[in-house]
Amino acid sequence: MILVEKISRNYENDGSETQALKEVTFKINSGEFVAIMGPSGSGKSTLLHILSFMDRASTGSYSFFGKKMEDMNDTELANVRNKEMGFVFQAFNLLGRSTVYQNVELPLLYSTILPSERKKLVEKAINDVGLTEKTNVEASRLSGGQKQRVAIARALVNNPNVIFADEPTGNLDSHSGENIMQILKKLNEAGKTIILVTHETYTAQFAKRLIRLKDGEIEIDGEVKNILSQTYEGK
Amino acid sequence: MKVSDSLKTALTGLKHAKTRAILTMLGIVIGIASVILLMSIGTSAQKLIISQVEDIGSNLVFVIPGATQGSKFSPPASAFGIIIKTLKERDLESFRKDPSIEKVAGEVHGQARAVYGNNDISATYNGVTGEYFEIINLKVKKGRLLNHRDNETMTKVAVLGSESAKKLFGEKEPVGKNIRLKNHSFKVVGVLAKEGTGVFGADLDNTIFIPILVAQKQLLGVNHYGAIFIQGNNNYSIEFIKSRITSILRQNHNITNPDKDDFEIRTQEDVLAILGNITSILKIFLASIAAISLVVGGIGIMNIMLVSVIERTREIGLRKAVGATNADIMQQFLTEAIILTSIGGLVGIIGGAGFSFLIYLGISKFAVSDWTFALPLSSILLALGVSTTIGLVFGIYPARQASKKNPVEALRYE
Repeated sequence: MILVEKISRNYENDGSETQALKEVTFKINSGEFVAIMGPSGSGKSTLLHILSFMDRASTGSYSFFGKKMEDMNDTELANVRNKEMGFVFQAFNLLGRSTVYQNVELPLLYSTILPSERKKLVEKAINDVGLTEKTNVEASRLSGGQKQRVAIARALVNNPNVIFADEPTGNLDSHSGENIMQILKKLNEAGKTIILVTHETYTAQFAKRLIRLKDGEIEIDGEVKNILSQTYEGK
Repeated sequence: MKVSDSLKTALTGLKHAKTRAILTMLGIVIGIASVILLMSIGTSAQKLIISQVEDIGSNLVFVIPGATQGSKFSPPASAFGIIIKTLKERDLESFRKDPSIEKVAGEVHGQARAVYGNNDISATYNGVTGEYFEIINLKVKKGRLLNHRDNETMTKVAVLGSESAKKLFGEKEPVGKNIRLKNHSFKVVGVLAKEGTGVFGADLDNTIFIPILVAQKQLLGVNHYGAIFIQGNNNYSIEFIKSRITSILRQNHNITNPDKDDFEIRTQEDVLAILGNITSILKIFLASIAAISLVVGGIGIMNIMLVSVIERTREIGLRKAVGATNADIMQQFLTEAIILTSIGGLVGIIGGAGFSFLIYLGISKFAVSDWTFALPLSSILLALGVSTTIGLVFGIYPARQASKKNPVEALRYE
């Protein structure tokens, strides 16, 4: 379970302080598919970075499946990211000159999994996203949709509890975007917790719950179908 | 991260920037090659000098006037220009009577201008007897060596070292010609074969040999000796011969307290040790000069690694996002730096060895036929150690910069 209690994130810039998040509190249960939405500057990326242990809150408390972020050092956070989290980014963030296999294998290089076991896991993850025939192709040679599928395979390879997706369809055409969201939906149906940051209503519709931020605070938190039908009806 | 994965990742990183990696390595290649080359030449020169001294013979003892302060590696008092007149003809006579001594030769030396025609050189002249050439095994190339008669009759004749003959006469035949030395005319009766370095590092090829009495009486106006060369009897140990010489000299010079000895006895072994010491210092000096280029190469590595860290900021962010710790990132970049310098070191060793071999071929064919090829294992191990250490030392700063990157900021880097 993810438990966020009154977390704030302040940035200091040229002597003045900006508050990107203001005492945000919510809970995400295991197996949920949550979309975080909001206009630019609302704090959704900041929230995702804190939830994914890549940044720390200035104040407040954050517990990820019983592990309190404020009690952990950077190495412990890295270990949790490695074993219990998967990441999908808008810009794919693949190693362009490395092969699909090498990209998917990346998180396992920092784990304690044996090389023989590693191979099986990588091949399974590549197969799960339907890219087996591209295993030894350089990532830079793939289409946008294929690149994002590689990124999903990389996020899945360590069998994480939670997958964080930051605008995963932002750089894709609508068809590829639909495919990616279908994959994420299936993963959620298979039991993975998905936390998605998006500004696209269409993408958010794949989630079950929506947290809408405005000026660093939660504006709305509820079921996607209810919120979208009220807020975006006719748009 | 496992070391094998770290190596694989680092090699992949370098493979993706091949040209840059090769150019970065170049500094280390040149530095290591220079160290190997200079160490090789230094060792070859050391071997040559020592072998030339060894060629003189193994049962030789040299007596020089004045005591040495400090260790046996300290220079004798005469080296500081102090004229010590303690070694006399009486000492030579006493040595000749001792059964442990086979041959004895006194020597005096001085500096003067030697002139033939328009050629005028600054030369060292040695006043010697015929035994001198036998004791230190000098060979004549043209004409003859000095003999007893030259000395007894105080004939002004000279035997030239090979280089002094060349400088004075060029391509002309020196034997039979007259040279002027300190305003005295000397008839050249012989020219020595190329000898190289003699005892105490003397440059025999640039020396002019004249009868000792002529040198003592007419050129220097002295009756003492600058050194006595002794060839021991092979039936006696060198230590015994040394002890006999010591007691003869103490008796002749009325010395009862050994601390007040006014002479120094050195064996060929001592001379070899001194020469070995000098040439080793020379080798270290040469290698130190070459090491400067290694430092420059190391700074080059650091510079390029820093550029690489900036270029790969997003990659660092990604690796951190998927679980790399600061230590993993540091290990990766440090491994890259060490691989770069180690491969550079290996290529440098091969290049340096190849170049040393070419120099050996050139020197042995055109200059010194006795020149040998030397590639000491110690220099190879030193070069490998140094290149790896350079990678470690100059790689640490860029690796630390990489490891300290914040994953969020790194992923946003454009």
